[in-house]
Amino acid sequence: MEKNWDIIIVGGGPAGLAAAIYCGRSLRKTLVLEKQVFGGQIVSADIIENYPGFAEPIVPAELMDQMSKQALRYGVVLENDEVSGVHYENNSWRVDVYNNFYTAKAIIFAAGSTHRFFNVNGEKELLGRGVSVCATCDAPFFRDRQVAVLGGGDTALAEALHLAKFASTVYVVHRRDQLRAEKILQDRVFKNSKIKLLWDREVLSFTGAQRLEGIELRNKKTAAVEVLACDGAFLAIGTVPNTELIKNIVELDDAGYAITDISLATRSKGLFVAGEVIKGNRRQVSISVGMGVQASLACEDYLASLE
Amino acid sequence: MAEIVSANDGNFDSFMNSVKTIIVDFWAPTCTPCKLMEPGLEKIAANYPENVKVLKVNVNENPLTSSRFFVRTLPTLLFIKNGLVKTQLIGAVNPGQIEKTLSEVQ
Repeated sequence: MEKNWDIIIVGGGPAGLAAAIYCGRSLRKTLVLEKQVFGGQIVSADIIENYPGFAEPIVPAELMDQMSKQALRYGVVLENDEVSGVHYENNSWRVDVYNNFYTAKAIIFAAGSTHRFFNVNGEKELLGRGVSVCATCDAPFFRDRQVAVLGGGDTALAEALHLAKFASTVYVVHRRDQLRAEKILQDRVFKNSKIKLLWDREVLSFTGAQRLEGIELRNKKTAAVEVLACDGAFLAIGTVPNTELIKNIVELDDAGYAITDISLATRSKGLFVAGEVIKGNRRQVSISVGMGVQASLACEDYLASLE
Repeated sequence: MAEIVSANDGNFDSFMNSVKTIIVDFWAPTCTPCKLMEPGLEKIAANYPENVKVLKVNVNENPLTSSRFFVRTLPTLLFIKNGLVKTQLIGAVNPGQIEKTLSEVQ
């Protein structure tokens, strides 16, 4: 495996793969490192209906597979490995992986985000035992059972609609008294007789021994505490950016998002960022793709300036 | 070269007392991350034919095996040695993470 690259892209989701296509077409030796599966978190969703250019709903895994193949077509190397460090030393970037390292003239950091957890009792213990972060993967386990989706955004409602095909009842538990999701999703949820909304509820804990049995909730308006009996709880309360690896080399805001200029360059020369590590992305494939393209163009300008 | 073996509710017990470490891949056709992990598992089955047996269990067709191990999320990988579950990995993981876990279990 080649050690020295023009560009290393950290993350093989929509932002990383879109950047890779452009870097490859600029004839730069480009390596993409992905710690989980190429395509990113979106491959777990069942459909995408709002990616421009497709009149009919598309399967996210197929879209992302096409993006991977498009990057490969232009000579990009896709490698499954977890990055453990990103440093600038001896006039180049060094990227550490398990038992190995690579160097590059520039980095595009598109490591995405990780599911946000409530960090309450029972959550980690019951993860995989009823507490889940992927309705598409796990819905068949909950056929004719009662489940809850926790959250009020696009992901929460899309998951509730998917779960309603399997479960007997789907509760959408939200901490506010209105939803943030796309209106078209809200409309479908309100019309689905299997889906019930519980407003103004705060999650206190997840209960159950070997498997999830209920969620302890507090009504924020009345302060009443109740236990919602359910077999499945699907977390959809947003994400936290995966910026731990660059926290000492780029500026981060209080929530850990990378701060960039309009070109997506950071304060570290030769380090660009894209996708959900940047605040305000709103978790849309189309936005991440656009950011990946922008970062790759800025990266190309940077490399050209060195020559 | 060892390959991944499909196990089911009827024959699962016959694998439990194997001297090899067993990796059980719980999957379903609707689970895309499961499909994307399969090449990595095939590589592991091929690379460690002497010490490791990789089984796959379709949770839709084999509810008894899934519920016996309290599997409620996909992908789930169970690592079994001498008939006992040593550890599990939940969610999509890369081949390196599987190998690392395997080395800790063996």
